[in-house]
Amino acid sequence: MAQTPCDPRYISRSHHCFSLEQINGVPTHFSLISPPSLSEPLSSILIHFLGSVELLSLSATSFPLLLSRLNFLLFSLSIQEQVLARMRSPFSLKQEFLKKWILGLQRCRSSKKNMSIFERKKVIKLSADVAMASARKGTTCWSRALIADAVKEGNADKHLAEKILGPASERQPTKKVPVGAMAYNKRIRSKKILKRSSVIRRTIKCAPQAARPSSIVKTLVGKRRQILRSLIPGGEFMNGVSLIEETLDYIISLRAQVDVMRSLASASKLVNLN
Amino acid sequence: MSGRRSGSGVSSISDDQITHLVSKLQQLIPELCARRSHKASASKVLQETCDYIRNLHKEVEDLSDRLSQLLASIDTDKDQAAIVRSLLM
Repeated sequence: MAQTPCDPRYISRSHHCFSLEQINGVPTHFSLISPPSLSEPLSSILIHFLGSVELLSLSATSFPLLLSRLNFLLFSLSIQEQVLARMRSPFSLKQEFLKKWILGLQRCRSSKKNMSIFERKKVIKLSADVAMASARKGTTCWSRALIADAVKEGNADKHLAEKILGPASERQPTKKVPVGAMAYNKRIRSKKILKRSSVIRRTIKCAPQAARPSSIVKTLVGKRRQILRSLIPGGEFMNGVSLIEETLDYIISLRAQVDVMRSLASASKLVNLN
Repeated sequence: MSGRRSGSGVSSISDDQITHLVSKLQQLIPELCARRSHKASASKVLQETCDYIRNLHKEVEDLSDRLSQLLASIDTDKDQAAIVRSLLM
């Protein structure tokens, strides 16, 4: 553990990077001795982290710093848990998607006997997207936005979408529990704690600091952020942290959708060959 | 941008959160995961994310195309649907 003044503070593990930039200067650079693997239960990760926090407290860092770091850890754990929970059961997500997709396809079957290829493709794609969104059961913003878009008034395929979704009584009530709700509460709590401790902080003399890397924030306020927003359904309404959380979930869902469609394509090819 | 700078303490939390989320994104994207060198810059991660999402969208389009040709009709008869379903489960 080397002590260098005015350096950003990093806690890094092989899989997860936490980087903390501290404003006042008691910086320490250290890394966890034995990085836990991804599959380890979160409690042991917590123990590892707290062990390193113990070391920090011995070197007489201020209490609010400790608190802020603990709050940050809680936030990251909650996100980690959500992402892991989503990834832990990718198979059930795929099953859910497939079930809803086939249901949607069957609902469209009655309309015309001989559809053109173009129409068929439209039906397949739309029912797949809608199935993916409804598999999330309204917990994420992008899924709600996707479904809302599909049944919007000006949409050309509105009737198709409504048919796929089924009678209104069968549609899932959208639970308005945003993905980042837990994180948001923790953020508020941490803000309060920091406000209380800011008085203490001001008395600690700040060593002249290196330019604070607000570049990360600046990146997100750029053209790329606009592009990302345009790619994710309902992205125009999201900001900052929630945008990235929604992106994470959207990518996971898209991957599952592509996997299922691909396996269906190869299975159909096998069936057709016989 | 959530977390406007009302006080210096508050924004440091937002920076940390964003950094952490960006690292999570990095793990999801296969391009950046393969290299495994060190944390890629946030802008690179965002760029790769946008490219990756575009690729996934394109794949969905292509697969829908293929499926519309393979599935001779949406009303696949019951046997075929059963076979496909059993192959996938």
